[in-house]
Amino acid sequence: MSTRRALDVSGLPPYYISNQSPLFLGQVLLCLIEGSVLSILIATYFYLRLGVDAWPPPGVRLPEPALPTIALIPLLASCIGSYMASEAAKRGDRRKMLLGMSLNLLLALVFLGIRAYDWGSFTFRWDSDAHGSIVWAMLFLHSYDVVADLMMTAVLIVIVASGRYGEKQRIGVHVDSVIWYFLVGIWLPLYAVIYWGPHFVGVSR
Amino acid sequence: MNPVLTERPIDHSQDLAQEEELAKTWHNLRGLSGWLSVTTHQQIGMRYIVTAFVFLLLGGFEALLMRLQLATPNNTLLGPGGYNRTFTMHGTTMMFLFAVPMMEGMGIYMVPLMIGTRNVAFPRLNAFGYWMFLGGGLLLYGGALTNTIPDAGWFAYPPLSGPQFSSGKGVDVWAQMITFTEISAMCVAVELIVTILRMRAPGMSLNRMPLFCWSMLVQSFMVIFAMPAVMIASTVFLLNDRTIGTHFVNPAEGGDPILYQHVFWFFGHPEVYIIFLPALGMVSSIVETHCRRGVFGYPAMVLSLVGNAFIAFGLWVHHMFATGLPQIGEAYFTAASMMIAITSGIQIFCWLATMWSGRIHLTAAMHFVLGFIFIFVLGGMTGVMLASIPLDLQVHDTFFVVAHFHYVLIGGALFPLFGGFHHWFPKFTGRKINEKPGKISFWILFAGFNLTFFPMHLAGLNGMPRRVYTYSPEMGWGLTNLLATAGAVLIATGGVVFIANAIQSRKFGAVADSNPWEGGTLEWATSSPPAQWNFTNLPVIKDRYPLWTERENPGIVTGMRNDRREVLVTSTLDAYPHHRLVLPGSSIWPLITAVGVSIGLAGSVAAFSWYYVATVLGAIGLIGWFWPREPLEIEP
Repeated sequence: MSTRRALDVSGLPPYYISNQSPLFLGQVLLCLIEGSVLSILIATYFYLRLGVDAWPPPGVRLPEPALPTIALIPLLASCIGSYMASEAAKRGDRRKMLLGMSLNLLLALVFLGIRAYDWGSFTFRWDSDAHGSIVWAMLFLHSYDVVADLMMTAVLIVIVASGRYGEKQRIGVHVDSVIWYFLVGIWLPLYAVIYWGPHFVGVSR
Repeated sequence: MNPVLTERPIDHSQDLAQEEELAKTWHNLRGLSGWLSVTTHQQIGMRYIVTAFVFLLLGGFEALLMRLQLATPNNTLLGPGGYNRTFTMHGTTMMFLFAVPMMEGMGIYMVPLMIGTRNVAFPRLNAFGYWMFLGGGLLLYGGALTNTIPDAGWFAYPPLSGPQFSSGKGVDVWAQMITFTEISAMCVAVELIVTILRMRAPGMSLNRMPLFCWSMLVQSFMVIFAMPAVMIASTVFLLNDRTIGTHFVNPAEGGDPILYQHVFWFFGHPEVYIIFLPALGMVSSIVETHCRRGVFGYPAMVLSLVGNAFIAFGLWVHHMFATGLPQIGEAYFTAASMMIAITSGIQIFCWLATMWSGRIHLTAAMHFVLGFIFIFVLGGMTGVMLASIPLDLQVHDTFFVVAHFHYVLIGGALFPLFGGFHHWFPKFTGRKINEKPGKISFWILFAGFNLTFFPMHLAGLNGMPRRVYTYSPEMGWGLTNLLATAGAVLIATGGVVFIANAIQSRKFGAVADSNPWEGGTLEWATSSPPAQWNFTNLPVIKDRYPLWTERENPGIVTGMRNDRREVLVTSTLDAYPHHRLVLPGSSIWPLITAVGVSIGLAGSVAAFSWYYVATVLGAIGLIGWFWPREPLEIEP
């Protein structure tokens, strides 16, 4: 009887909750897509800015940086929650997962609340002029992403709280935190562009 | 504990038992609901291919209408409005509903077979992507049935496409159709990258991967960076300007129509390479198989593919030379446009060297490859000419440009695709495709193509602008146009022969064994057509062409569980086994999610608030999709 070369993989684990999971790589790629979207919007902002002499047009006040700067505190702090949740997901620690995700959700809601309140002070709409259009596009898309991720976090909280979950959901908790880091990280340049950019770029025009 | 290769006695009875178990595990449910919840890559890939082919026929029919209109001077077959709608539908269909989805379909079908795995990494995302693509096609052609037809060209430049000059909902439908197809393309890109980087057969380090997989990998990364741009141009800029009164492209309020062109072509130029790179991969597969040797200069080929991708993002302004941009900037884009001839040329020379030093078998597939080289090189030549600004300004928006990009796209993508179709037909169907009618269809298509598009160069040089519905006899364009129309009829004839041959061979062709061409890559290691699970024993390889070098003693993976849809995850560079992964089975939720999102996106053509409908319906679908299912715990 002849033989053949065989590679026995039965000893390998049937799942892996870490950055080695294919789902993690998939999520990173989705973040790249969304990062491309928001980067092109940043380029658009400066393209439009440099195409006109007055930015924003007369009669429109630039958005004030005070409240959005304060809002960074709960936003950055919320990453502690998502980090806690993802580390707990790797160990299978249900209590810490719930605690971490709830902290994440709560602080993110505080951030969103401040953002929504701040919008009340804007003197422009998306249909006022090009400045309004691009600023609202950035704010809307980022807020949409944040809300979408928080909905996912909320669903994961429900699933984990019900106790009816397994390794796949634990990978989900881990990946959920990856999206959150991305959304927090990408907000920093957007924030800088919207609230500080006009004070530095094209001032002399 | 790392798995090691050991010698094991061959046990055929165990293989049979394994096959029985795998058949149960990978069995797709019967009936309509089973058909709608399929998530296996072969079925999804074939659905992409068949659907995209239907759109090819529709786009081809529109092309014929245009050619009939232009056949003689002062013709009144279509009229100005009808002609505008026809060329818009033709370009849109061919770019968004045929070319990209067709290449994605080939990738989805072939990549898991070529890298030795059982499915793509995210099977349900794969199904979702297909349904979104179908939704986009239905939106555009559903709109056409209700006489809501875009007419501002396939790139819909404002201000022509803006609220002021394009009333009605045609342009809005066009803009949102883009969103559907781009979502689909991005789903495929993500899952193919992850599949290629993490699920290759043990031993298939990146430098042993078939060139077609390399081309799909590079193309997928291009999709990720390019497709967001077109969604911004079409929906954020154009659709919002039209529906909620933003001012991105409205110069009266600080916007700029040129901004739209920049962002559109930042997608639009890479798009050409998104279509073209997979075709290059197919050419490599065909050439190496039908010349019985590995592709000459494999590292150069890979680097050229990657180089193509990078340079392709630096060319977009050559579509905009006539817009009056600063000359220093334009000069850079001229240089970059000429530079891409280097990376493309390297590949042509590598194939020529492969053919020269191999034993060339002049099969039908090989005919299409040789036709590709002839046509594509001509298209490349006019491409280098067009990169020169003075010449570009002279022939901008003339039929010279039409001739150029049809030489590049039909020559560069359609001929390799038809070649790939002949090449992999036995794998798709289990039957050989008849060679003689295949060659006849090639010669008709080749002659028809050149007869149609070569005269267009002359018409363009003689000043005939594109997108005019007719011309007067004294312009002297009558003969070239008549020839082009005759060529178009010939192309249609070739298409009929091709389809007839495919149908005839599908039913009555000679039965093909697993490797009818004596190919060297893994897709030929499994039966034709492949079983649902692709490989009963996942392969282990130690060479770029395992079927040529390890025919006597192929390595296999053992110890996988067959009672669930398990695949092997391997390391990114060297493909060492890392862990096993349980893939989901059939699911109806991708369809439900896609339908929900489609309803919302289609509604957003009328009002912005429909985006919230898309969100809510999509969220419901996703919650169903991700809801935990038994068994919750993954046993070892």
